[in-house]
Amino acid sequence: MYKLESKNVDFFYGTSQALKNINIAIHPNTVTALIGPSGCGKSTYLRLFNRMNDLIGNTKINGQVLIDGDDIYAKGVNVDSLRKKTGMVFQKPNPFPKTIFENVAYGLRVNGITDKKFIEERVETSIKQVVLWDEVKDKLKKSAFELSGGQQQRLCIARALAIQPSVILMDEPTSALDPISTAKIEELIYELKSKYTIVIVTHNMQQAGRVSDSTAFFYLGELIEYSATKELFTNPKIERTQNYITGRFG
Amino acid sequence: MPLIDENKLTKSKNRNQKIAFFLFASVGYFIVTILVAILSFIVYKGIGVINWNFISQMPEEGMTKGGIYPAIIGTLYLVSGSMLFAFPIGVLAAIYMNEYFKDGIIKRIVRMMTNNLAGVPSIVFGLFGMSLFVNKLGFGDSILAGSLTLGLLVLPIVIRTTEEALKAVDDTFRQASLGLGATKWQTTRRVVLPIAFPNIITGLILSIGRVSGETAPILFTVAAYFLPKLPSSIFDQAMALPYHLYVISTSGTNIEESRPIAYGTALVLILIVLICNLIANGLRKYFSKKVKMN
Amino acid sequence: MSHIEVEMQQLKAEIVEMWNLVSAQMKTAMVALAKMDKGLAKEILNNEKKVNSLELKIDRDCENIFALHNPVANDLRLVLALLRINSNLERIGDIAASVAKFINKSDGFEYKGLVEETHALEMFEEACDLVDDVKASFETENTQLAESIFKRDRTLNELNKNARAIVIAHIKKDPENVESFLSFLAIIRKLERSGDQSKSIAEELIFFIEAKVLKHAPKAEGNKLN
Repeated sequence: MYKLESKNVDFFYGTSQALKNINIAIHPNTVTALIGPSGCGKSTYLRLFNRMNDLIGNTKINGQVLIDGDDIYAKGVNVDSLRKKTGMVFQKPNPFPKTIFENVAYGLRVNGITDKKFIEERVETSIKQVVLWDEVKDKLKKSAFELSGGQQQRLCIARALAIQPSVILMDEPTSALDPISTAKIEELIYELKSKYTIVIVTHNMQQAGRVSDSTAFFYLGELIEYSATKELFTNPKIERTQNYITGRFG
Repeated sequence: MPLIDENKLTKSKNRNQKIAFFLFASVGYFIVTILVAILSFIVYKGIGVINWNFISQMPEEGMTKGGIYPAIIGTLYLVSGSMLFAFPIGVLAAIYMNEYFKDGIIKRIVRMMTNNLAGVPSIVFGLFGMSLFVNKLGFGDSILAGSLTLGLLVLPIVIRTTEEALKAVDDTFRQASLGLGATKWQTTRRVVLPIAFPNIITGLILSIGRVSGETAPILFTVAAYFLPKLPSSIFDQAMALPYHLYVISTSGTNIEESRPIAYGTALVLILIVLICNLIANGLRKYFSKKVKMN
Repeated sequence: MSHIEVEMQQLKAEIVEMWNLVSAQMKTAMVALAKMDKGLAKEILNNEKKVNSLELKIDRDCENIFALHNPVANDLRLVLALLRINSNLERIGDIAASVAKFINKSDGFEYKGLVEETHALEMFEEACDLVDDVKASFETENTQLAESIFKRDRTLNELNKNARAIVIAHIKKDPENVESFLSFLAIIRKLERSGDQSKSIAEELIFFIEAKVLKHAPKAEGNKLN
């Protein structure tokens, strides 16, 4: 069964159509990269899976978006609990103005968990998962802003992991980071794949190549090509894809 | 011949730049000069009467002697009262406006109204306060009526600044919090407000500066010409610095003799506003260090 | 281990597998030639398909690493070297296959004397040793061992030259069987070629390990480089 699926999805901001008939099916425990020029709809598509687009007024969606086979836009779906299934990581590291510990504990606390021991354990596991534990274990009570950009981004990933989602959505997670931090995040993505299904929006073609199993190329709201990353990067079927990934666009 | 004479172009560019520089610099210095002139004039005229007694004593002999203690206290009461009223209401309104209110025509109208409210002359607020709080609600000339009137006056400022502060919070913070399954209120209270706090505080303190200097709204609602004792409840009248200043410079028993006291009062008022601004700056710096974004 | 390292390890393992396969093919071919054994020859031709498909797989993996991981510096040199080593090995595999074909086709003609006279088996052994030694130098990243290959390739050339003279003499004596002699000479020449392949593998290794390009350096200088 597919972990994530979109069937004939159209998406509108007001009257302008941002996505046109998108069909994608994503297997569990894979990394899928969404690439394409700015404004092609890839970020909008990513945000369908945690209904983050709901926050913007005056939007409309047609078609179905499925997680584990369930239509998440069906009537009666609890959006707050739906969002717990997915963790999201953003372009700029955005830790909350709290301590390192509280940042990771946040998702547990807002979901009503009060067991101190449980929270401590979960925070530790999550920080260990992002290979940050050794760097922060002595300063958990310090502000998250004291960390470097790369560390902050890993903390944000830990924050997302703490509520144990099965899907991680990443929106250009390394575009604000230096190359070393970028490499660390990419390694992390590669490792997290064994436990999570990851969808990543990236402007960096090489990154898509390095981290993903499948790649979807969006252009002007349309899905131009969706195939195994190896395929897409060595032998794209569509000329437009080839022009984009070789940098001969426009 | 090249199409453009590079040398000539550079020369004219440089000349234009110099002229512009000179203009901007002179305007800048002009403004600073006026400010310094006013300040030094008031300091020069007023510093002579300032001493501990001036600050801590009652006025004497038809306000030609003695201190301005009750006016300072009155102003402090009015500032605190108006803030207690305007700050919570303003911040809550701004949160509603920015975090909950869906974009649309109604929101635009409400926002336009708020902005218009900020443009209403303060004397109109004074009249409104008098008819509503003093007469209709029967508070009489009192600290309560004055505070509420002043509160109304700064409400739009508090709402505006708070809204701006909330808007400045990057949306990804909200999305990150909501993405973790938090509700909107949890997100606002635990993430958005702490980040916006430094700027909200700035708005608060700027309003304090505004309130402490207003004369018109308190004219009909609270201010007393002269009171021999301090107010003992919020239903008492009070003296206030700006009104005191107005009174002793226009209608005192002996205007010429109370001149130095008038300047002293002005100096104290300016100092209070200045201190408010410094505190605002300090607090903003302190809090933004705590929630530093990078 | 990082993602690219994992991929590189896999690629290296595949090339070692290819190497073992080709080396085994050569050794079998040597035995087959000594006994003119058609059964062994058939076995070689069967395994040749494996060699070819492994070559394709390694090619594709190199391609993927280039496309997906954008290797640089030593990673880049390694993938480039492996890509070329891969095709060199495949050609050595071809040589074993053509020996097998030669054995298959040889009907009636007695090559035993010729094999002994030309020291063909000696050549063969040397060719096999070269394949194994470049492999050892790859696995241990030993450039000295790789450099020794250049000299040893020359003995192979020497033997080839002598063998040529001997075969020509035979042709003159026995013009009836000129076809058989020529196909035998072709085998000898191929053995010599396999030495060239080993030599260019050695060059690739030095390129990969020390980032020196020996390929087009004049011979004397090439040896002086270290």
